[in-house]
Amino acid sequence: MKKFSLLVILIILIGTSCERDDICAETTTTTPHLIIRFYDIDEQDNTKQVRLLTVNGVDPEGNVLENIVTNTSTDSIVLPLRFQNENIVTASIFELKRDSDFDTDTNDTTLSNTDIIVVSYTPEFVYVSRACGYKSVFNDTQNTLVIDSDNWIFSYEIINPTIENENSAHIILYH
Amino acid sequence: MMLCALTSFSQANPVAKDTAVFKQNYGLRIGGDIGKLVRSFLDDDYKGFEVNGDYRLTKKLYLAGELGIEEKTTTTDYLNTTANGSYFKAGVDYNSYVNWLDMENMIYGGFRVGVSAFSQTLNSFTVYNTDQYWNEQFTNSTSQEFKGLSAIWTELIFGIKVEVFNHLYIGLNGQLKVMITQDEPVNFANLYVPGFNKIYDSGRLGFGYGYTVSYLIPIFKKNKVVVPEE
Repeated sequence: MKKFSLLVILIILIGTSCERDDICAETTTTTPHLIIRFYDIDEQDNTKQVRLLTVNGVDPEGNVLENIVTNTSTDSIVLPLRFQNENIVTASIFELKRDSDFDTDTNDTTLSNTDIIVVSYTPEFVYVSRACGYKSVFNDTQNTLVIDSDNWIFSYEIINPTIENENSAHIILYH
Repeated sequence: MMLCALTSFSQANPVAKDTAVFKQNYGLRIGGDIGKLVRSFLDDDYKGFEVNGDYRLTKKLYLAGELGIEEKTTTTDYLNTTANGSYFKAGVDYNSYVNWLDMENMIYGGFRVGVSAFSQTLNSFTVYNTDQYWNEQFTNSTSQEFKGLSAIWTELIFGIKVEVFNHLYIGLNGQLKVMITQDEPVNFANLYVPGFNKIYDSGRLGFGYGYTVSYLIPIFKKNKVVVPEE
């Protein structure tokens, strides 16, 4: 009798193998954003806020996507980067509009000023963990400022060409 | 039978008049893991089999070992990978169960050292990206195989073996494993090692279980003397 009850317990146990939920913790460093800080062109050691900044991504077909930053006065922005295949140079295009209110206010003499930057880099996929899988980091980052008749961004500097975390700025824009 | 043994030995050994003597089988017990066999049929992501054996050294001590093959596909939200290989474990079992009369059941604890040789195939992965602003979730489906990997671990095993018919045993056991060393694939990790089972992000511990059926091939017999209680 004891042997049979043992057999029953055995069969029940066959079906129940416990799998722990594998959830990627938010504290884990995964695919990073690009961090841009704005500095003063006149006093290059000081950060300088951009008045009412709006930022949009532009997809490869030229469509302007939704706002990443909206009407915010800030000295730093955090931007998502496009990537598809590993080891292939990829670009993300962003429109940065200063004084976003000037286009919509009643004063016809003032206009918002939109500058376009093109950030290019080479994605590399790095294994993180069972729960998070792979992340992408971005190597050899380069920046191009599209020159127009009235740039509000005067120059830029690549502080950290390897984008692998969000601890500090990767690119500085002077204005 | 008990009485028979009692009388036959009471004459030969006049000192221990109140004792009974039983024949104990010593030999090689060979079996397989039916749990792995059943799982191979039920679980599409698993194929495995294990042959196990033990050899009785003393009244309580057994030499024990397992030999197995496993193929396990692990799927997470972001990864799909298959581990495939074989393993061997060897060690000792200690029977802590005091059997009644002529029974030969076991409640045992044991120790093993395990080795595995395996390959790891990364079938596909999706790059983890919390920000889907660009709407370009990237999935790589080019399979990549990492061959010639190995691992060594130790384990504690606890279980029971019950003789259900003459010389035929069923058993179940649980295993607590500690990884000593393993080859990690470049820019990847082992999510499963044959014999060791699932590898956790959190540490070196692993867990396992077994449901065995085995048959004892008796090689010789030893006497077991039982002193009846007053």
